Amino acid sequence: MALHALNTTHRASGNILASLGRPFLSAGRFLSELGRLFRDTAVAIARGRFSGAAVIKQAYEIGNRSVPFIAITLGVLGLISVYQVATQVAQIIPDFSMIGAAFIQMMVREFAPTITGLMVATRVGSGIAAEIGSMVVTEQVDALRMCNADPVEYLVAPRTIASAVMVVMLTAVGVVFATFAGMLVGKGAFGIPYNTFLSLQLTGIGDVAIGVTKALSYGIAIPVIASQAGLATTGGSAGVGWAATSAVVNTSFAVIVIDFVISALAFLVH
Amino acid sequence: MSIADWTVAPVGRATNYVLETVGGASMILWRIMRALVPPRFDGHETWRQLDRVGVRSAPIVIVTALFVGAIMVIQTAFYVNKTGATSLLGYGVGFTVFAEIGPILIGLMFSGRVGANNTAELGTMVVTEQVDALRALAIDPMRYLVVPRFIAMMLMLTLLMVLGDLFAIIGAAATAQGLIGLDWRVLIANLIESHLLDELTMGIVKAACFGVSISCISCYFGLSVSGGAAGVGRATNNSVVANATAIFLIDFLVGWLYTL
Repeated sequence: MALHALNTTHRASGNILASLGRPFLSAGRFLSELGRLFRDTAVAIARGRFSGAAVIKQAYEIGNRSVPFIAITLGVLGLISVYQVATQVAQIIPDFSMIGAAFIQMMVREFAPTITGLMVATRVGSGIAAEIGSMVVTEQVDALRMCNADPVEYLVAPRTIASAVMVVMLTAVGVVFATFAGMLVGKGAFGIPYNTFLSLQLTGIGDVAIGVTKALSYGIAIPVIASQAGLATTGGSAGVGWAATSAVVNTSFAVIVIDFVISALAFLVH
Repeated sequence: MSIADWTVAPVGRATNYVLETVGGASMILWRIMRALVPPRFDGHETWRQLDRVGVRSAPIVIVTALFVGAIMVIQTAFYVNKTGATSLLGYGVGFTVFAEIGPILIGLMFSGRVGANNTAELGTMVVTEQVDALRALAIDPMRYLVVPRFIAMMLMLTLLMVLGDLFAIIGAAATAQGLIGLDWRVLIANLIESHLLDELTMGIVKAACFGVSISCISCYFGLSVSGGAAGVGRATNNSVVANATAIFLIDFLVGWLYTL
């Protein structure tokens, strides 16, 4: 009887512990899988085992084809930020001379890399996961393995190199479009002269370094995390949809966490 | 290849695509309105969607909000430290988080999790002919699939935004205390003194509008899927891109209407 009671409590506590531990276990398994994919990708790139043509093709796919999307979103972001901030400033002191300088600095060190990263995570992350996912369910990835071609070298490495370069480029494009849109709204709605707005007086080399570091980190993290979601696809068309969804969530979340870490480090170093 | 193939044709194709998407999503919205007055939709399915869309998204929204608050406090502190106006920290964080960055980032996370998932799910139902099966059983897919999702997304994103604002403040206060070295009570007191009610309501209105656009766009892409597993993947990809663009445009529109 006592033994039975002990057994029941044991099982009950086991259930509670199991349900507490399960998320941590699955998170741990996910992170170790991701870590392995990061390591394999790094090894493949370090050994130079990827095709240059594939890198160029992916760079076009990830970079050039994202330009309209980045131009629209970052342009609207520029409009919104200048409009909101200038409206606030107008209520306190009607002095708009520093808005442009502060705006460009904030764009370079924080918003252009992070919003570009999120947009690339959305567009490219879901695209990579959907593409690799449909290759997995139609057994094309298995066919690659059969031909002794490593999917990491063949699929993940070119995307990682292309995206690392292209997110930095897209961030630069984003800064230009956001500044241009901000400049227009500053002139149109608040009468800020163009040459007052276009001031780099606050933007130093440190801000550029922070922005580039962020963009580069997002560029490396996005394709690897998205590829992991794609390679883990199971089931038919439902599985591909799931892979694309989890790729968007995981990559977007990674961008936010990386942003926090780099911002915090930059703040502490400063 | 003639000159028109790479100059005029891409512009026309892009315009066509944008108009098609806007038109398709608007048609969905119109049909949702028709199903709402008088209310004719599946109540049970709506409850299920409220749980799936709202309650299950709460963890990711909470974690995102904590980080958003933390990031904004670091960025604001960077300026505050230069000018020495510590009292502006609460105002700066509250304004950016409530009015702009909070709604945009939480909207994007929600669009990634719920919108993409919705397109994938409806798309799978289309390619496996489950939607046709519903029609064959005389069940209107609008009333059974689309309207419950619309109600759930609009309602739940609005509520999640309120939750997100709360957790963003918690994240900001914790970072101010731990990293910046500013007492968290100073930040909260300053935030309360800043009278940010307008910004708070604007953020919540934005969230409600995002809920409408995310549900219409993701349902449109989901229901117009063709071409098997690859088609579902492509539709999901297009859906998140259209949703992100819509979020920025709506954010601008609502912000502009508020200052009129």
